[in-house]
Order: sequence, then structure tokens, then C-alpha cells
Amino acid sequence: MTTMQENDVFNAFHEIWDVPEQTKTGPLEGMTVAVKDNIVTKTGTTTCGSKMLKEYKSPFNATVIDRIQDAGAILVGKTNCDEFAMGSSTEHCAWGPVLNPWDTTRVPGGSSGGSAVAVAARLCDAALGSDTGGSIRQPAALCGIVGYKPTYGLVSRYGLVAFASSLDQIGTFSVNVEDSAHLVETMAGFDELDSTCRDEPAPELTKHLHKSIDNLRIGVPSQYMGNQNTNDVEAAINAAIETYRALGATIVEIDLPLTDVGISTYYVLAPAECSSNLARYDGIRYGHRTDKQCKDLFELYSESRAEGFGSEVKRRIMLGTYVLSSGYYDAYYNNALKTRRLICREYETAFKKCDVILGPTTPSPAFSIGEKNDPLSMYLCDVYTANTNIAGICGISLPCGFSEVDGKLLPIGLHLQGAWYDDANLLRAAQMFQNSTEFHTVTPECVK
Amino acid sequence: METSLTTKEVQHVAKLSRLALTNVEIEQAKEDLSTIFEHIARLNDVDTEGVDPLDHPTELLNRYRDDSIGKPLSQEQVLSNAPAVKDVFFDVPKVLGGDA
Repeated sequence: MTTMQENDVFNAFHEIWDVPEQTKTGPLEGMTVAVKDNIVTKTGTTTCGSKMLKEYKSPFNATVIDRIQDAGAILVGKTNCDEFAMGSSTEHCAWGPVLNPWDTTRVPGGSSGGSAVAVAARLCDAALGSDTGGSIRQPAALCGIVGYKPTYGLVSRYGLVAFASSLDQIGTFSVNVEDSAHLVETMAGFDELDSTCRDEPAPELTKHLHKSIDNLRIGVPSQYMGNQNTNDVEAAINAAIETYRALGATIVEIDLPLTDVGISTYYVLAPAECSSNLARYDGIRYGHRTDKQCKDLFELYSESRAEGFGSEVKRRIMLGTYVLSSGYYDAYYNNALKTRRLICREYETAFKKCDVILGPTTPSPAFSIGEKNDPLSMYLCDVYTANTNIAGICGISLPCGFSEVDGKLLPIGLHLQGAWYDDANLLRAAQMFQNSTEFHTVTPECVK
Repeated sequence: METSLTTKEVQHVAKLSRLALTNVEIEQAKEDLSTIFEHIARLNDVDTEGVDPLDHPTELLNRYRDDSIGKPLSQEQVLSNAPAVKDVFFDVPKVLGGDA
């Protein structure tokens, strides 16, 4: 029998742990789960894919870790991610890029690329990730698996290393919708350690999962279809629409004109929050400290941070610092916050006409390593996913087809978005698709 | 709005960000940030007249917990990740006055 270390030729894991002989009994009994390296665990290190936290060992577990372990999950290790979850390719990881198991010359997406690959290559049953603008759904799409971002506030963020606190949400990767439903049902519910966590019991996500939704209304915005998508993506999404139609769903045209300014809004709000959250890395209480002799604290901070952070993190800290600085706050940050409210209203209007919103997760399948070397082209990967986080609604990516490029099959993702706390219906709609399609059962060649 | 940044502006932002950047990094950041701000400028086309800013999707109000004693981390745990410790303190360069 080969070990997981031997099978991880994709650099999915930063650490692989010995599996304990005994685990607890419960709804997740025996499920092997990998954990993105920005969710703190008492076992091993939590590095966030950054030299800044190379040796960081958390004295406590994230709430989600305690909850899934208590329910019988077996934690198998920590997965590589873009540094501090900033990126869409997992190339910006201090421990090297993660490779896509469908074609190892291509990226797995990001930032939760390691978690997506761990599941896609069947190294474990499921994985935890975090999604701030698409960091679960986009890699799930590019790796041909399920990636689910619950509604903001459904799952405690306690122990998730903060990037942009009003956008960050912990979610899951799995082969089947059902495994994600079980995991999030276990993780959800109020946690007094996260003041933004919804004060309600965990919703029942699995109870009616296999019951089809009668008279399901699927909203398709014109803004999600058309020229920006590759032909194969467009064809796969049109086929998915037909699958739902055949299941009795009504297809409704909806309008989301602010889709186009989502990335602009996101790249003001997320860096602003990031610049504030990452101010804590000062080389004093934890994290990297420079070896240089510094004359004062200012120099110690500046040198330690310059050595500890990678280029993308530095860029976002500066971007955020700039939009929050005197003279620019109103023009950028406040204006983005106003647009955020308009984006929410747009979704509110849309969800009066439909139960879920359908489109592609990404405009194209996995791109080559090194292909998107200017920051803006990387940011535009999240064009369909960022607004989900800006509004705080739920979203899921499902395998819905393949694009054949250079003799390799590259997965395509179907993106469904649901209204605030309507996660149970979102997952039911997703389950309906998996009940009548086989895409999720196809594995990369390495698995055979 | 002017979307390209000057070298001086980038140096100022780097200072505010507490990042000691090389001249090469400053020039690269100038180019990258200018491209990004050019894209962000699309926000100017959105009519936000009379719209209240929304800083958080849940719009929750402050939540208060009981004012009771909890179980904090031990001093040993808190210091365990510090790069430099002296006795039970974080060790830092001299903060006030004179030479370090």
C-alpha cells in the first residue's frame, strides 16, 4: 500500500499527519478530512502558506476543528494555499505551487488549491477551505469536485486566520454534495467565540437533501453568459440548464448588472480589511522577526514584514492601506461600501423571482502555471464568485462537464447561488443535479 | 479620478504599511497598483447617490457576552510562539529615546 506522502505528487499537503487509531463515533465517523493551512489546529503548524508563520503552532483549535473531530472525522493534515488565502491559483504559496491532478502543468485554482487537489486526487474524503471571493468554489471547479461556501455567519470563523473578516467564510470540498452537507451541518451553529456567527441552531442540511424541490425556479442572469466564457464552458452551462429543465425546473431570466463591478468592489473591500487584519504580523508576539539589528520598533516591523510576506500579500496590504488613507477613503472605500449595498439589493430582487441563481463558476477551465503573471488577470478569475461574498449569500460549485485541451480533460464548474440562510435549498438543488449526472464520478487518471 | 500612482505616493503607502521595500519593488508596485486602480475606477460609473454604505453583510449590532471569568491561555502558551522572550516578557528593541 502506498502512503499518502507518496501519492501526494501535487504538493497538495504542507503536513500529513499520522492517523489516530481511535476516533469518535458520530455522523462523520471515519471521514478523512484535510484542513486548509489557514485554519488553526493544535496538531502541527498553521503557516497560511507564508514564511511569516513558518513555525507557528496554535495553542488552540478552530471551532470547526473541534466540532468535526467530536463528530468522528479523521484529520489527515494541512493543505497548501495561496499565502494568507490571497490568490486564485495556489502559485503564491511559500511552500511551492500546487499542481492540478487533471494536468500537472496547470494550476488547481485557489486560494484553497491544496484542499481541492487532496479531494480531487482522492487522497482523502473531504477537505475544509475558506472562501473570501471564490477561494473554495473556483478551485473546486478547476479540479472537478464539489466546493461549498455557506452563507456568511452560518459557520464560526473562530480560528480561521483573518484575511477580510466581512467576506471570509469556512466551507468544504467533497466528491458528493452529501458529504459537504454533513460537514457543514456539523460545523454550523452559534459559537460565542465569533460575534458575527448567527445566533441560531445549525440548519438541517441533510434531512431533506434527497427530496427534489417541486417547482424549482432557476435564475440565469444574462451577465453570466456570453463572450467572456470559453465555448466549452458556455456549452456545459447550457447543458446544465437543460438538465434542470428536464427535472421540471422553470428557467427564469434575471438581471444582475452589477456583476461587472464586483471585482472592482471586491478589490477595494478585501484589501482594506486585509491591511487592517495583517497589521498584527509585527514580529513581536509571533511570526517572523528579522535578524537585522534594528534601531527602533518601526524598522523592526518594516523589515520583519518585508522579509516575511510574499509579493501578492504586500501588494494587497498596500492597496488596502491606500484606499483607507486620508484623501482616498471616501472615493474608494466608502464608495465600494455603497456599491456593496446595491449588490445586496440586486440579489434581493433576483431572489424574489428565483430560488437559485445558475451560471459558470469560472469563465474558463484551469490555466497553465505562470500564465496569469499580471495581478489583474488573476483577480478577474473571480468575476462570478466575488459578489457572493460581498453580499454574504451561499454558493456551491459542482462538476458539470469537461473541456479537452492538449489531450487532457479539464473540469468545468457549475455555480449555484442561494439566498441568505437558504443553504438547505441550495444543497437540495445541487443534489438534484448530481442525481441525474455522472460528472462527479469521473476522476483524473492518477486515481485509476 | 487620477488612477496612476507616483513613486513618492507608493513610498508613502509602503511606509504606512510598515513594509521596507527595495527601489525595484517600489517601481513594480507603482506599475501594478496603477493597473489595478485603473480597473477599480469602474466604481465611479455606479450611481451611489443617497445609498448608505454597507460594511458588513449581516448588519448585526454589538453582541455582549456575560461578564464572567473565562479560561484564558496560559502565559507559557501565549509566549510560546514569540520570536524573542525575556523572562515572562516579549523582548523588543528599545522603544523610547536614545540608542537601542
